[in-house]
Amino acid sequence: MHLSEAKCEEQRTQLRRAIDDLDEKAGIALAQEALAGGVSPLEFFQDVIEPVLKEIGDAFARLDLFLPDLMRAGAVVKAMQLQILEPAVRSAGGESGSSGTIVIGTAQGDIHDIGKNMVALMLQVNGFKVVDLGTNVSPQAFLDSARREQADIIAMSSLLTPSLPYIKDFVARVNALGERQRYILVAGGAPITASWAEAAGLDGFGEDAVEAVALCQRLMRRRAGGEA
Amino acid sequence: MRNTTRLLDVLDRVESGPIVEESLWDMQIVPSEMAHLQIEFNVVLPPPRTAIVLSDDALADRVFEAGLALAERVGAFCVSTSRRVRFTREEIIAALAVAPTEVTIGNDNDRHTERKRCVEDPAFPTIKGGGVGTPVPEELYLAVTQSYAQEPLIDAVINCTFERIYGREIRGRSPWEVLVGWHEAELSKAACRRAGRPGLGLGCVENAVSELSELSATSYGGFSPNDWHHVAMISEFKTDYMALAKLVHLIRTGSVIHAFYNTIYGGTCGGREGMSIAIVGGCILMQMLYMTNTHSVSPAHPFFDNDTTPEILQAIALGQQALARNSRLLTDVVITPVGGPGTKTLLYECAAMAILATASGACGLIGPRSAAGIHAAHVSGLESRFTAEVARASAGMSRRDADELVRKLVALYQPELNQRPIGLAFPEVYDPVTVQPRAAWLEIYEQVKGELRTLGLPLR
Repeated sequence: MHLSEAKCEEQRTQLRRAIDDLDEKAGIALAQEALAGGVSPLEFFQDVIEPVLKEIGDAFARLDLFLPDLMRAGAVVKAMQLQILEPAVRSAGGESGSSGTIVIGTAQGDIHDIGKNMVALMLQVNGFKVVDLGTNVSPQAFLDSARREQADIIAMSSLLTPSLPYIKDFVARVNALGERQRYILVAGGAPITASWAEAAGLDGFGEDAVEAVALCQRLMRRRAGGEA
Repeated sequence: MRNTTRLLDVLDRVESGPIVEESLWDMQIVPSEMAHLQIEFNVVLPPPRTAIVLSDDALADRVFEAGLALAERVGAFCVSTSRRVRFTREEIIAALAVAPTEVTIGNDNDRHTERKRCVEDPAFPTIKGGGVGTPVPEELYLAVTQSYAQEPLIDAVINCTFERIYGREIRGRSPWEVLVGWHEAELSKAACRRAGRPGLGLGCVENAVSELSELSATSYGGFSPNDWHHVAMISEFKTDYMALAKLVHLIRTGSVIHAFYNTIYGGTCGGREGMSIAIVGGCILMQMLYMTNTHSVSPAHPFFDNDTTPEILQAIALGQQALARNSRLLTDVVITPVGGPGTKTLLYECAAMAILATASGACGLIGPRSAAGIHAAHVSGLESRFTAEVARASAGMSRRDADELVRKLVALYQPELNQRPIGLAFPEVYDPVTVQPRAAWLEIYEQVKGELRTLGLPLR
């Protein structure tokens, strides 16, 4: 069953309200009601959740909304996905609609985390499963987590030049272990430039949280064999 | 006032406070209290297009009360122990009542005393000129640092960092960090000697990404206790064993301590209102945790990495006024422009912040960290000279007049920010041998000074 545009808009309004109020229960009830009415999880995600998250992401890019707003959106949508949408997909024999799994952290030698947190939330609200390892993450810790989570992307953040060698260490490690092709490697942060990222053997770099999302989406499409 | 008793009390609290998960701190405790405080204390700011340097004393006082409440209700978080560090209102008030209102930085003939300033104070703010951690190739480090140290209006130098050390990459928390700390001490002191100001205070250890550089380079033959030693509070309101280890060393060596906290605009603390409260609360918490001499909070824009967008300028002005009117704390403002050397944009941004900070009661100006401190060697002493001249010309200016000037300057540079005019690297704007600005950079500097005079700023 496909939702009418009027019904979609009504549900998007309810979702916006649930996010504003950080009302995870309201979000869950909304998803339950939609699925009970015969809407598929994918349709609900594409017609209701995705447009609202795009609005929020766009507003954040204009700085009309801030990190706490992203946090609320991330928390409500995550609850809806974990409790309603993903179980429904699995019971129907399908796979979850995640855009991919990303292991993210601030590289060893650096303890800055707000920029990294912004990127993590933006990725999460854009449908990625995000595993945040926090700050001062060693190359081995990145690798352990990537293996455990079967990550698609490993995203390393750095605000300080002296943490950059540890990013290169990580690339050297996955190369030496023959695991380089398993992961998409990206990085971001003030001292990182496109040329540095390329020289370090990374697949890309993002200038800010908005660009990081576009980069990860592009690289995932490329990996899937679609357009770059 | 600092002493071992208070230091032990801080160290005890980071090991005995309630355990909190860091994600809860980031995602709930700080943002929810921040949102609540804005409502409780009615912190509502007009759009920056109507006013950037506000003259609303009642609003400034409410921002101070909100920041005080933030420090009391939220406290700080120690990442190393996952514990919350709380202080009662009485403890905070008692500590603020004995906070130092002046501090002397540097040695001998070159020492300088930074003093508490009020809003619209006719006294000149202290000028701490330098690239504030901007990476610089080691072969240019001496000349770059000298370009600041030789400027007579600069009262202390805030060091740059090294891109590499003896040609090698620098790794944080490794032997390389110890070596680079010593390299910073040796070359920055040599630059001051070459400038004929051997006792000039040095903002240090800028290469200390962990405690290693600070603990090694603040030692015999290295930085002196009278230099200006930096300890960070991590965003938002966090500390860790690295910062506290530095603190213990600095207190036991009797060193001058500067604490800084760089929050991100649009981050956990939200927008302009949250920023202004975070500036106040952050300075109070740094005083409580670190027993600091001077404090700075430098909000960064999430996309430009600067602090000169109108929203951030407005929050800085209000936060500074709140602290100047209601506390004894010595507070500095860091200038982090998008523009770099050789551009008018840089000078417009520096002028806007210098006027704003001087009129709002800041005790010192730090920087500028030109080209957002990101692009190697995109710094030079001339922009610090310019900043000092503008600050001196602004001393005693009313906030209303400052606002008019700042908004005119913002209108000049804001359209340029998207282009990221990072300008030129040091060798292109200075002769690295004579350490004098090149003619083209001097011409731009004189042009902008002329424009400021036309706008009504009484520049010499």
